[in-house]
Amino acid sequence: MSPIVAYLLYGLFAVGAAGLYLALPQPHPASTRVAGLLLGLGAIVGGLILLGARAMDSGSTNVFFYIFAAIAIFTAARVVTHPKPVYSAVYFVAVVVAVAALLVLQHAEFLAVAVIIIYAGAILVTYVFVIMMAQQTGSAQYDTRAREPFVAVLVGFASMAAVAGRIADPNAMGTVAACEPKATMPANVAGDAASEDTPTQDDPGNTVRMGRSLLGPYVIALEVAGVLLLVAMIGAIALVKKKLPAEARGESPVVIGQVGKEVKPF
Amino acid sequence: MPEPVTSHYIVIGAALFALGLVGFMARRNLIVMFLSTEVMFQGVVVNLVAFARMHNHLEGQAFALFLLVVAAVEAALALGLVVLLHRRKGTLDSEAWAAMRG
Repeated sequence: MSPIVAYLLYGLFAVGAAGLYLALPQPHPASTRVAGLLLGLGAIVGGLILLGARAMDSGSTNVFFYIFAAIAIFTAARVVTHPKPVYSAVYFVAVVVAVAALLVLQHAEFLAVAVIIIYAGAILVTYVFVIMMAQQTGSAQYDTRAREPFVAVLVGFASMAAVAGRIADPNAMGTVAACEPKATMPANVAGDAASEDTPTQDDPGNTVRMGRSLLGPYVIALEVAGVLLLVAMIGAIALVKKKLPAEARGESPVVIGQVGKEVKPF
Repeated sequence: MPEPVTSHYIVIGAALFALGLVGFMARRNLIVMFLSTEVMFQGVVVNLVAFARMHNHLEGQAFALFLLVVAAVEAALALGLVVLLHRRKGTLDSEAWAAMRG
């Protein structure tokens, strides 16, 4: 494990950041955007190859992690860079499904299904409702122009490099074994990975264990979460019930579907 | 292909978080900005579950579940606010509220 890998990762992140900058909605032709996306895809693939080459110790075939990681990162980049908000919402569904697959790979099945139900089933539907209500044109004028794209991509690249650079260079982290799963986990033993999937007498599976821990050590937090949901529901209803003075008079202050006027950013 | 270890998942979580951060800062549409914060949440969930697996404990997964609750609450309230802002100005442009800046 040498600093060379850290610098290679930084280089790959720089390529990915350049691709993201080209892909953000700006007034340049679509071919530049496609080129940016291809550049980003290349950086993702390169990064995953680098990650895969780092841990060349076990021989088990686990190609699904790399597939779903690539899907998650690429569709997240499309969420962020697509000029039409409805497409962003649909790409976000793909992000949620890929993240749920990554959670299943880590034997967190309950959380994976919860993420799909809550995000793709509830939150995304609400987002699509509001998009359809507030923006009838597919891509308004303010969607085709990113706001300070270079600074935004620079900040994202800096935060990404700071995190991943520390991980790639474990001399800076203290112990090399700090990031490896503990040896006592059953899935580490070759050939025993299947024993964690099927519930047995002493290992009843992730859902039962999550239920026991939620109603056991974390029961107070569970109740607080319920109160939080109730308060948020009341707050949301109280927020939107307020009538603007023009609406109270019976006239609508704005025409729904009207595109906003041009405002020069900064 | 080699078995993914915890640091792999952390890098993926960091990538998702950074992409959401870029989207929140770069886009002008209010709804796409909040969608980017949801992408940030996904990165954090991946991170939490990876650390829970590393310590062989369910605390990270319980925390991720409550994070899901908080994300749903935040989405509901944020969309309520976006609807209110849209009713005022008739646009989803965050630059329409630029008078609040400076």
